[in-house]
Amino acid sequence: MAISKEAYKVLESIVGSEYISNDPTICEGYRSGPGGYESGLGYERVMTRIPGCVIMPRTTEETQKIVKVCNRYKIPYVPYSTGFYGPRSHPHVSDALIIDLKRMDDFEIDEKHLYAIVGSGVIYSELQAEAMRRGLYIVIGGGGAQVSAIANMIGDGWSPLSYRVGLPHRRILGTELILPDGELVRLGSLAFQDDYHWGEGPGPDLRGLLRGFTGHRGFLGIVTKMAIKLLPFQPERLEPTGISPNTALKLPERRVKWINFTMPSKDSMRRAMVEMANAEIGAGATKVPIFWRAIARAKSKEEFWELWSKENEEKIANFHVLRVLLVGFTSEEQLEYEENVLMEIIGELGGEARRTRPTDESWFKNADSAGMWLMCGGYVSVDYVIETVEHAIPHGENYAKLKRNYTPPLMPDYGDPGWFQSFELGHQGYSEFLVYWDPDENTDGVDQFYLETSKENIRKRFYTSLLGSHQPLYLTGPAYGPNYHKWLLKIKDEFDPQFICHPPVPLNHDVFVERAEWLKPQKDWESPELPKAL
Amino acid sequence: MSIREELLKLVGTEKFTDSPEVLKAYSTDFSLVPSGIPNYVVKPKKTEDVRKVVEFANEHSIPVVPVSSSAHFYGTTIPKQGGIVLDLTGMNKIFEIDELNRRVRIEAGVTWEQLTNELGKKGFRIIMPLLPHPLRSVVTDYLEREVPTNTVYDYGEPLQSMEVVWPTGEIFRTGSASVAGYPDSPSKGANPSGPGLDFYRLLQGAQGTMGVVTWANFKIEYLPKIDKILFAPVPELDYALEFLYRVLRLRIGQECLLLNNVDLAAIIADDWSKDFEKLRASLPPWTLIMVISGLQRHPEGKIQYEEKMLGEVLRNEFPEIHLADNLPGFPSLSKKLLPMLRKPWPNKVTYWKERYKGGCQSLFFIAKPTQASKFITNVEQIAARHGYPISDIGSYLQPIEHNRACHLEFNFFYNPESRSDVEMVRSLYDEAAKVLLSEGALFTRPYGEELTRLVYEKAADYTMTLRRVKKIFDPNNIMNPGKLCF
Amino acid sequence: MPKSKVSLDVTQVENFVFDMSRCIKCKGCTWVDHIYMPGVKYSTRCPSATKYLFDSYGAYGKMRIGVAMVEGRLGYSDELLKILYACTLCGACDVGCKRNLDLEIELTLEALRIKAVKDGKGPMPKHKKIAQKIMQKHNFFGSHHENRKKWLTDDIKPSPKADLLYFVGCSASYTHPEIARATAKILNTSGTPFMLLPDEWCCGNMLYSVGMIDEARELAQRNIDAVRQTGANILLTSCAEGYRMWKVDYPKMLNISTADLGFKVVHLTEYVDELIKKGALKLSNRIDLRLTYHDPCSLSRLSEPWVPWKGERGLWGVVNPPLERRRGTNGVYQPPRDILNSIPGVELVEMIRMRENAFCCGAGRGTKEAFPDFASWAAGQRLVEAKEVGAEAIVSACPWCKDNFTDAVKNNGKSLKVLDFSELVLSAIEGTGKRR
Repeated sequence: MAISKEAYKVLESIVGSEYISNDPTICEGYRSGPGGYESGLGYERVMTRIPGCVIMPRTTEETQKIVKVCNRYKIPYVPYSTGFYGPRSHPHVSDALIIDLKRMDDFEIDEKHLYAIVGSGVIYSELQAEAMRRGLYIVIGGGGAQVSAIANMIGDGWSPLSYRVGLPHRRILGTELILPDGELVRLGSLAFQDDYHWGEGPGPDLRGLLRGFTGHRGFLGIVTKMAIKLLPFQPERLEPTGISPNTALKLPERRVKWINFTMPSKDSMRRAMVEMANAEIGAGATKVPIFWRAIARAKSKEEFWELWSKENEEKIANFHVLRVLLVGFTSEEQLEYEENVLMEIIGELGGEARRTRPTDESWFKNADSAGMWLMCGGYVSVDYVIETVEHAIPHGENYAKLKRNYTPPLMPDYGDPGWFQSFELGHQGYSEFLVYWDPDENTDGVDQFYLETSKENIRKRFYTSLLGSHQPLYLTGPAYGPNYHKWLLKIKDEFDPQFICHPPVPLNHDVFVERAEWLKPQKDWESPELPKAL
Repeated sequence: MSIREELLKLVGTEKFTDSPEVLKAYSTDFSLVPSGIPNYVVKPKKTEDVRKVVEFANEHSIPVVPVSSSAHFYGTTIPKQGGIVLDLTGMNKIFEIDELNRRVRIEAGVTWEQLTNELGKKGFRIIMPLLPHPLRSVVTDYLEREVPTNTVYDYGEPLQSMEVVWPTGEIFRTGSASVAGYPDSPSKGANPSGPGLDFYRLLQGAQGTMGVVTWANFKIEYLPKIDKILFAPVPELDYALEFLYRVLRLRIGQECLLLNNVDLAAIIADDWSKDFEKLRASLPPWTLIMVISGLQRHPEGKIQYEEKMLGEVLRNEFPEIHLADNLPGFPSLSKKLLPMLRKPWPNKVTYWKERYKGGCQSLFFIAKPTQASKFITNVEQIAARHGYPISDIGSYLQPIEHNRACHLEFNFFYNPESRSDVEMVRSLYDEAAKVLLSEGALFTRPYGEELTRLVYEKAADYTMTLRRVKKIFDPNNIMNPGKLCF
Repeated sequence: MPKSKVSLDVTQVENFVFDMSRCIKCKGCTWVDHIYMPGVKYSTRCPSATKYLFDSYGAYGKMRIGVAMVEGRLGYSDELLKILYACTLCGACDVGCKRNLDLEIELTLEALRIKAVKDGKGPMPKHKKIAQKIMQKHNFFGSHHENRKKWLTDDIKPSPKADLLYFVGCSASYTHPEIARATAKILNTSGTPFMLLPDEWCCGNMLYSVGMIDEARELAQRNIDAVRQTGANILLTSCAEGYRMWKVDYPKMLNISTADLGFKVVHLTEYVDELIKKGALKLSNRIDLRLTYHDPCSLSRLSEPWVPWKGERGLWGVVNPPLERRRGTNGVYQPPRDILNSIPGVELVEMIRMRENAFCCGAGRGTKEAFPDFASWAAGQRLVEAKEVGAEAIVSACPWCKDNFTDAVKNNGKSLKVLDFSELVLSAIEGTGKRR
């Protein structure tokens, strides 16, 4: 049902006519696909709709009013920061209201107390630049510097820089959350007073509502402001150099250094990470997936495919490159010390340092993440998980095996077992499995693979980030917790009894499976009739 | 059958008691929280026992108060509405010390003493708060967010996944322990978050009101190969804090804390009455304690670079701070204090907070270090108003995460046998809490009835939402009712 | 899927459906390159997206709208036309996208405008009026064609025949004669003979830019023929927009390479660079000025030569034959800076967004005329940035930039000098060199 004239008028009076539109062209501009993360797939085709209206609030107060109006007039709404996350951050029902948060770009920084307060419209790239100017830094999530800092902090939030500082959950401080029914709750020190600098309490920590291992993708309210911890870095400038597309940060070599190592085996790579973690050195340690190396070398998509077609399974199986970041947080001497220890470890394991450019094209600003789409045009992380390094390796290997059954339409990767890294100084390990396809081909296989990975995780008892709204809730729910889905749905029901905040999430993937004929053969779990509200 | 009979039948006589002496023991603790008596005490041996009791209690709307330690200082386990005390101190298995992933999984009843000993045998440690009582539950202390003395950011938030029995009696595992069949799984439980929702956050700071945690995973660290403990008399607190703002941001140091003369004296006094007074009089008003360590490989190299930078900063920027291996006038301090910082308080020795007068009421909160002096002044003024000698106040400042914040703690020692002492400290505590709260102190773990009431009144929106969440997990409000805002 | 034929021909918008449908909403088109990201201020380089804010105004929204247009799912409306035309085609989006994804954003935007005109819906009414003026009076302003050379003063001596032809352009001819004069005097001073077109007509920048390709092409052919007839080897212009038209869009419209034009197209900044290097010009007069240089879009991001391309696209979107994309890497960024910096007394301070990250002044290609508020706003943004770095003057190398900045300064009363590159160079050499 289109948004009524009355409702539109009320919404317009909240933000002013300049910041609201139900024009069809404006709304078309907010379409999820055809390109993007997880785009060109069945999920996107079946589940997404363009909005019926777009509104752009400037403040928490305006946003709260909007949400209350939505509750009054039963308008389904979707919070939207950059829309980069693909179909899941776009409306799934017709005539929904997109609450586009890009105008909420307030920014404050308390350098002494190591935090920055941002609105939902601030992206990591901006925040990192502000932090680095002050000898600090943040972890930019794998999605790239172009994502909203808040959206990523409550959605995903990790990358090779998580080697030291791990989970984003640890870096969320005072936060403003507008619950789906329009109630505003302030978390952490903000609960007591106008002060963002502490994240916990009082008592039980309601930051627990913000996300799970991955985020809610907008079904449990809107975060409008958040204080994010900044981490001490080092004082030298990382100088931007080059002209597009060859831009990079020049590293102050005595303070910040990447080193690539060729290792004799995958296990030696794993052991290197373990030894580094035990020695408590390093600021980043990641396996380099071979196709990244090809992307980095290629000057174009065509060149990439030329390079890639020369690879084969044997080569991939024997390609073990470990990329290590060293940062002299304390001093130049620290970097020297860590480099000596690192070389000792690598030497013990039979590895060798390769010539490594003294620049960073990617991770500090994660400027390269969009390059993931260069190869094929389609990309999704079919699973990613933080557990232990012990978990990471079989998890990736398992996927590589499973993936063979779905290649094509997936891009040939010669059995590459995905990407893994060490996190939180070795207390955790990370693995991610990325897949690529050509959106112009029949991509049913990709949808099927995606669903199959969930069942595989359950079968093999792997943990996974793709719970909640990422996979059918009634499939994963009974398998994890058990019955985490029950609590999730109860929370949803309590705070969004009308189910208007981003419907039908978190049951979106359940709905998708019901609607997609090509997934029916895989459905072998029970699910009840979905709520009438959907 | 009566409730008693049903319960007895459910758990068996071995695990059940309601003898008056036992019940009385659970009705008070070291705090000033008024006593409250349970009706029954059950001592489970395993999770299934816990599940049965909680399910039963939920069916009959009987309060359940989980207790995992043998010493309590905040009144959190004093039943307010009777019910069943679920004493998990007997569930004290250390399931696994996972060296590869630097993780330990322990039951709720595992104590600091037990754990530090076992870990120490394998060359490991767990970061810990300042001298915890040896018989306190590690799981509880981390659930309650006790602040560690170790400021290495990477070690922070050691709590990982756990098992909880929800108030409805369902067993649930959080984080990556939620996989079916855990621990028989590739998942080791190293990730605290999820599944679906960050349940672990709701269980933290909850004082047992959200469910009963039966075991948890924690990060552990290697014991350093070399340690150097350094001391400096603090000429002026703000100056020392500026120094810490500067130096902790350089990621120097392991344990780092500030203690005033009263607290430090109470901690290090050997022969009690003689030593304490002498120490209190001769220790500097504040002492900065900092440990720098060398780790597993080339430990001397790490010490060297940290010392070099430390030296440069001190020489060039903070000449008034004289950091050295010992506190002038206290030659054996380093030898004594370093091992103490890595262990809980020794068992069978009067707990350091009880040594001075027998009782201690701790008032603590989170603050920005720049606010510390202001709060200290506030507290001294209030103490004076209540006739509490300023020279008796123990103070402890624990820098957190590169000193971006601190835990500030005031210990009011008192004689619990003296009614007037008790009343004085109670009213002093209540007034201090009120004033400090209005001045911006963050009581993120509110203990004590009055403080709790003030905090939740001030955080009205938060309180409302918290109650809504609580209702989902504990629809019959059986878990430790009357605590927090429930 | 079978391979499909594809070319960079902007008259067939179907050529760009691939590019439109591979946009991932990363907004590399909108944000300053993350490597150069300055912080929360000055973080974007797309004026349209920054002003109008709705996604639909950024290239990432326009790509989606374009797909809908081609698929017939979206009808024309005032809003659609505004989205298509409230944009200077500054190329920031194109360069931004090509850092990682190599999608042809600029060509897509051009193709969508051509489609809009073909469908009888575009361009904007103001553009139509100007088009008429161009057709009738051969200039953008509808001024008397006979007055086109009125800018010439007695002390300027063009040659009847020379290797170098100075193409003045409408703006320098009619509204900013100081630029034409300065350019001519620089040439005179350096001893470079130059000729003018006997009958110079508008280059057709606006016509092409708004999608009136047929008219633009006709004008292009006429202009190229006219230049070829003079026998000039070099066509020099002091207008960045004109530069881009001649160097890039003329060949594009005629489906030839820049190299096939038969003459070299050169901007004054490049030419002065050459003159200085070979000793024909010495910038020796002192000018005590703290200035900042604004990269005109058409001289910087959009200035790489054109090579037509056609081929096939297959699996994974791989094209054959390989295509050397124009990514803005080799724009004319450094020479104007080197030159300005070399003037004694000049202190060149860079704005926060520079080179390929520069924030368009908002005027170009008829945008100011159709959307004066937008142009004024964009210029205002840039002036704030100039002030932020402590500049006393903002210098560009395009009369349309100068025009818009000058108006903006007038409107908001900021005390900032607005100068053209040619004027500064002239001041630095006046009275010092040869005269013809």
